[in-house]
Amino acid sequence: MSAINNNCQYISKKQVKITFDGKTYQAYEGDTIASALLRNNIRLVGRSFKYHRPRGIYTCGIEEPNALVQIISEHNEPNTRATIKRVYDGMEIASQNRWPSLKYDFGAINNILSPIFSAGFYYKTFMGPKGFWKNLYEPLIRHSAGLGKPPKNFRSKSTHQYHNNDVVIIGAGLSGLAAAKKFINTKYKVLLIEQDSYLGGVLKNSNKVKTINGLTPQEWISETEELILNSKNITVLKNTLVTTYNFTNHLIALEDKFAGKKIDLNKSELTLHKIRTSNTIIANGHIERFISFRNNDLPGVMLASSFEKYIHRYGVVPEKEPIIFTNNSSSLSLLKKLISLGCKPKAYVDSRKKDNIETEIKKILRDSDISFFTDAEIEGCDGNKKVETITIRQGKSFTKLKSSMLCVSGGYNPDIHLFTQSKGLVKWDKNILSFKPDTPFQKTITLGSTSGNYSFKKLCDEINEKLSIFKTKKVSLDINLNVPNKFSIKELWETKKKNNSNWAKSFIDLHNDVTTKDLKQAITEGFDRIEHLKRYTTNSMGTDQGKISSINSLAIVSKMLKKEISEVGTTTYRPPYAPLSFAAIAGRSTYEFYDPERKTSIHSWHLKNNAVFEDVGQWKRPWYFKASENETMHQAVQRESKMLRENAGILDGSTLGKIEIKGRDALEFMNLMYTNAFTKMKPMTSRYAMMLGEDGMIKDDGIICKISDQHFIATTTSSGAPKVLADMEEYLQTEWPHLQVYLNSITEQFSTFNISGPKTREIMMKVFPDIDFSNDAFPFMTFKNFDYKETKIRIMRASFTGELGYEIYIPPKIGLELWEEIFSCGKEYNLIPYGTETMHLLRAEKGYIVIGQETDGTVTPIDLNYNWMIGKNKKDFIGKRSLSRPDTSREDRKQLVGISPINKKDIIEEGQHIVELNELPKKITNPIKYLGHVSSGYHSPNLNHSIGLAMIRGGKNLLGQKFFVTATGKTKNIPVEIVNPVFIDPENKRLTS
Amino acid sequence: MILIKCPYCGERDQSEFENGGEAHVIRPKNPESLSDKDWGEYVFYRNNPKGIFYERWVHSHGCKKWFNAVRNTSTDQILKVYKVNEKRPDLSEFQNTLKSPSGEPSVGSGNFAVKK
Amino acid sequence: MKKKYSITSLIQNSLSDNENWGKMWRSPNPKKHYDVVIVGGGGHGLGTAYYLAKHHGVKNIAVIEKGWLGSGNTGRNTTIIRSNYLWDESAHLYDHAVKLWENLSEDLNYNMMFSQRGVLNLAHNEHDIKEIKRRVSANRLNGLDTMWLDKKEIKDLVPIMNTDNLRYPVLGAAYQPRGGVARHDAVAWGYAMRADELGVDIIQNCEVKGIKTDNYKVEGVETTKGFIKSSKIGVVASGHTSVLAATAGVRLPLQSRPLQALVSEPIKPVINTVVMSNAVHAYVSQSDKGELVIGAGTDGYNSFTQRGGYDVIEETVRAIVELYPIFGKMKMLRQWGGIVDICPDASPIISKCDVEGLYFNCGWGTGGFKATPGSANVFAHTIAKDEPHKINAPFALSRFSDGRLIDEHGAAAVAH
Repeated sequence: MSAINNNCQYISKKQVKITFDGKTYQAYEGDTIASALLRNNIRLVGRSFKYHRPRGIYTCGIEEPNALVQIISEHNEPNTRATIKRVYDGMEIASQNRWPSLKYDFGAINNILSPIFSAGFYYKTFMGPKGFWKNLYEPLIRHSAGLGKPPKNFRSKSTHQYHNNDVVIIGAGLSGLAAAKKFINTKYKVLLIEQDSYLGGVLKNSNKVKTINGLTPQEWISETEELILNSKNITVLKNTLVTTYNFTNHLIALEDKFAGKKIDLNKSELTLHKIRTSNTIIANGHIERFISFRNNDLPGVMLASSFEKYIHRYGVVPEKEPIIFTNNSSSLSLLKKLISLGCKPKAYVDSRKKDNIETEIKKILRDSDISFFTDAEIEGCDGNKKVETITIRQGKSFTKLKSSMLCVSGGYNPDIHLFTQSKGLVKWDKNILSFKPDTPFQKTITLGSTSGNYSFKKLCDEINEKLSIFKTKKVSLDINLNVPNKFSIKELWETKKKNNSNWAKSFIDLHNDVTTKDLKQAITEGFDRIEHLKRYTTNSMGTDQGKISSINSLAIVSKMLKKEISEVGTTTYRPPYAPLSFAAIAGRSTYEFYDPERKTSIHSWHLKNNAVFEDVGQWKRPWYFKASENETMHQAVQRESKMLRENAGILDGSTLGKIEIKGRDALEFMNLMYTNAFTKMKPMTSRYAMMLGEDGMIKDDGIICKISDQHFIATTTSSGAPKVLADMEEYLQTEWPHLQVYLNSITEQFSTFNISGPKTREIMMKVFPDIDFSNDAFPFMTFKNFDYKETKIRIMRASFTGELGYEIYIPPKIGLELWEEIFSCGKEYNLIPYGTETMHLLRAEKGYIVIGQETDGTVTPIDLNYNWMIGKNKKDFIGKRSLSRPDTSREDRKQLVGISPINKKDIIEEGQHIVELNELPKKITNPIKYLGHVSSGYHSPNLNHSIGLAMIRGGKNLLGQKFFVTATGKTKNIPVEIVNPVFIDPENKRLTS
Repeated sequence: MILIKCPYCGERDQSEFENGGEAHVIRPKNPESLSDKDWGEYVFYRNNPKGIFYERWVHSHGCKKWFNAVRNTSTDQILKVYKVNEKRPDLSEFQNTLKSPSGEPSVGSGNFAVKK
Repeated sequence: MKKKYSITSLIQNSLSDNENWGKMWRSPNPKKHYDVVIVGGGGHGLGTAYYLAKHHGVKNIAVIEKGWLGSGNTGRNTTIIRSNYLWDESAHLYDHAVKLWENLSEDLNYNMMFSQRGVLNLAHNEHDIKEIKRRVSANRLNGLDTMWLDKKEIKDLVPIMNTDNLRYPVLGAAYQPRGGVARHDAVAWGYAMRADELGVDIIQNCEVKGIKTDNYKVEGVETTKGFIKSSKIGVVASGHTSVLAATAGVRLPLQSRPLQALVSEPIKPVINTVVMSNAVHAYVSQSDKGELVIGAGTDGYNSFTQRGGYDVIEETVRAIVELYPIFGKMKMLRQWGGIVDICPDASPIISKCDVEGLYFNCGWGTGGFKATPGSANVFAHTIAKDEPHKINAPFALSRFSDGRLIDEHGAAAVAH
């Protein structure tokens, strides 16, 4: 047994070194791992999924069920198809699913126990004793399952590319190229996609075609390729696999940018093409299927056309004297090729009757004196980790022959995967014994063997007819063949075993180790629907999705059920066509590009001043400012909070959403959108307002500035801004189109600074010496426009801290300049910058709520004692009606209260619950009733103890009562008193003076 | 991914749009006059047919305009798009292709790929 | 129990070449009349039939399934089981289910492979932290085993997770050790087998065309195999429930949306916990087979196609690669979609309705699998007694008019 090299134009003469399981081998540039291993006479390449049986290379392409390897030199990439992946110098490869070694695998014990490991065995055992599943059985199962090992140290780099086309042709074999020829220099924008690095398909994988239009296949391919490349309207993608056919002709294709080359880590490894097209032409051919017989999984069993492809495409003859086993006419070309190379197959086994076998085959076999078995089949093969002897059954006689390889052809299946993904319907064709495309759902055309047309002679007419919808010239193809044009096949899915041993296995799914016996068992157990059977046996659920075997299993099952195959149906072909890289799907939008970072105009200043940031939606907001290297967050927040109440502080509030509402009916619109009444509100004043959903629950809040009845500016929460604007637009366009109102997001148009604290007025007067900030001239909740350095700015008197405060709205261009000016003016007043955490603490002291903290989508304004915000006289506003539903008007709803610890040293934790018990049982078995939860909890530096806001049942009537708050990890609860939620300045003196 | 023809911008990927649920649901003129049940119906209940569905879309990553569409929810085929102020097209305009009891047409939906 | 499964039965059957296992359930022709008809042969429906027969002594029951058992969302979900819901009503319902899960394999003598490997819900911002801490505290009082984990503890559980070097770093998580995953198809098969043994007729490949009513009272179901009379009908048809309800003139507050999921190729064990994340939206667990089972969010439009948009797949995989960079070197093996019926408050409906004898178990949205045994158990009670069990009483249809919703949108509110 030794492979020989064949002259091949697709393989360069350049030698490369690869290692497989630590041993170095010579290969050629252009080889796949599989062709390189075959060249080196390596047959055993992995262990199977369930029984850990030795497995070799079964095919020469994407359909491979066995030869999956781990690429150590590429971040340990698991489950790589050896039949697809190209080698390069220095590639390190390892076999999978074996321990300690490929040759001696401990897991092979599963094969000995295999009669017990029948279909669905795991559902029937491993149930006791208690704890054994978790601690023994499951870990054991998990370790023996799985194929490759996890990848290592990887950060992906891949890109996406978009296409919009009139026509996409999938597959550049004979049909694809001929179809593309029809579009040369036409108005159609065409994309031709080929999985291989060379065009030509069947023309380069076999010698079935002798001449096309008088040219050799290679000459015709070169001529056609040149014409296509010179045609400006056609783009060709090589090394690109179409994996997904979505709705509305949306295709996903993956291009390997480094096929056969070492990956450059600085470059994008894969390109994922997202394609929209008006028409899709599927011409990706067919897939040969196998036949089930005893030990049809032994290394050395290979599909006949794959064997042929290794000779033509990769220049390697894996074995000089293989046995050929077929049920159809297609293996003639392999036979011819082998003989032309001076190789002599050991035997040719044809399941067809002698009379049905093509004369040419019979003649060649006779002329070359090759053993010929007609009306015969392979009973099985035997050998130690490889094929050694092959048993042929002819009638009642058995012949045992020695050979290391068995080439099998069970016929061909049109590759309908993409067609069914597109939701087209397929139909059973008795002539080819397979499903072929029937009714397309989208604008999909199938050509050549994909459409079930196995006749080269008919191809030209098929193309001209099916593509006649495009107004292009006809193509002409005059094809001369080396093989019979007529495809002939005899139905054969499984051969009969000589002895029915418990251990004898003929596989129906090589990848998932499903045997024909498993199918039978599943049917006897009642799984008589094909999808059901698939799930019970895991048939065709492997990484190959049963490409060479799924039709066989349908046929076998339909026979067992005594039904027509078309009645049994197929299982669903799920995208992707072949496993699709996660890195490619993710593309460039990961890590730093996962989501944009929104930064305010003051961001650079924050960075310089040791701000620690928090993510609020996409915004980066200063959380707190570190005064020194060692200052903790708690210390910083306590310091900031205290300093502000004593002096002054400034917050970058630029992230606050701002929406401008303008137009004839702005007032009416605002009255409908918000709970508040705006009619009597004076121009140039502002008001705290709330927005509800139609369910009556609080959605957002903000301050509304009324410039006039026709002009408002609304602020929103930072992360709620887009939604509020979208909701307003929705109502305007769909419910109240008669209202003349225009909306504009002006969030980015203004930087916003919130400056507050008792010293604020002095600082403001220093920054803006021309403005009168006195209480009479500039009262609470009013705003004015001013000029600042020739720019219009707006200043509003408002506060979220409970102290005297102003909000400055200024175009971001000069925002930083003003911010720095404020700081230089504020220095003598000990002005400090503060972050969101201090803002939250200060507002909690003041009893102000935060959307998303006190509210959670189940809170109404009434629950917050904000009845004053509801425009009682308004006939309608969004959510009003819901406030009077039985549940929303309940007296014992959760309501906002303050809580204060009885023992002032106790810490009230946010998120904890208020209970009536002073102590909890260690293990809680019966649910403990609670009144509500702590929605905000802070240590107040100004009161010097912990405080909380809470939402508790019937809270309004519980003021002064004592309860307990739970604490993390403790059974002892904290005694607290229910108090008014306003801890600081309940009379609002600081706000309004 | 559905391709949607915005009446203002033309055909765009569905990812540029947001769906607004059932179309032609009019907000009650006088909510206070509704019973709790009727108001609950308006807030929470929307049709959910398998087959012809009148629905709303907004081209949120484009012109931000709302419009209506008629879609077959058993195949996702959009049969018509029209502006908010245009008349609701009559059901008879859309040939009934619904074959099975639950409304599955033979091609384009479900998981059964074989022609019967 | 007629069929007893164990290692002994496996060995015995292996001696007869696994040819004598016998049918797990009969394939009867429908009778003309049943006491109770359950529409929908998924886990919830089959379980309901099982508990009706076992606990409530109902003898004459049919389960009608239009496809094969578990062909809907039972066989399409990502199999996550947990009960760490915020509101008491939900916590009680889902924990009722978890407790049943814990003994289900034994109860049915069919291995559900309930793997209590723990569920993590990650926090990526301050708002997540607040929401999760509140939930942990509420869960504790409801007797659940949810706890707060800091970053280091998360890293110990899931070493391959990228906690720091990403756009929204991992700041902590809720962890429920009793949560986990189970083998989804097995749930349908196990319930089916044991229900069948108790005399329940399981009728596959039979589609209900409509529910016949007379004067607000059910009379039976019209099916592709003829009319079946029954005075009690339980509809458990997930995405198609509202379509069926409409035939009885009942309107439900449901919207049917595509929900997609995907699996990777199988690899050796790499992640031993279920990890869910809302902000970086994806959830992942590794099946016993070795595949990464990954769930996405729902598509934003109604559809009955069992197919969603590719953009949702991309968004999910992006989040997976962000959280677990090495998974970039893995490949997606299969993607698929199911049809989920979503309620306005993201909580299910297990309820009677205005039509006498008509019961609904629906609106499970994206999270119904975890509730299967609990839902089936209380639904059986509701049908048998014609009144809800105290666990499902809050999940009545009436909540949409009186306003007593159970809003489980989780982080429904926004951060300031």
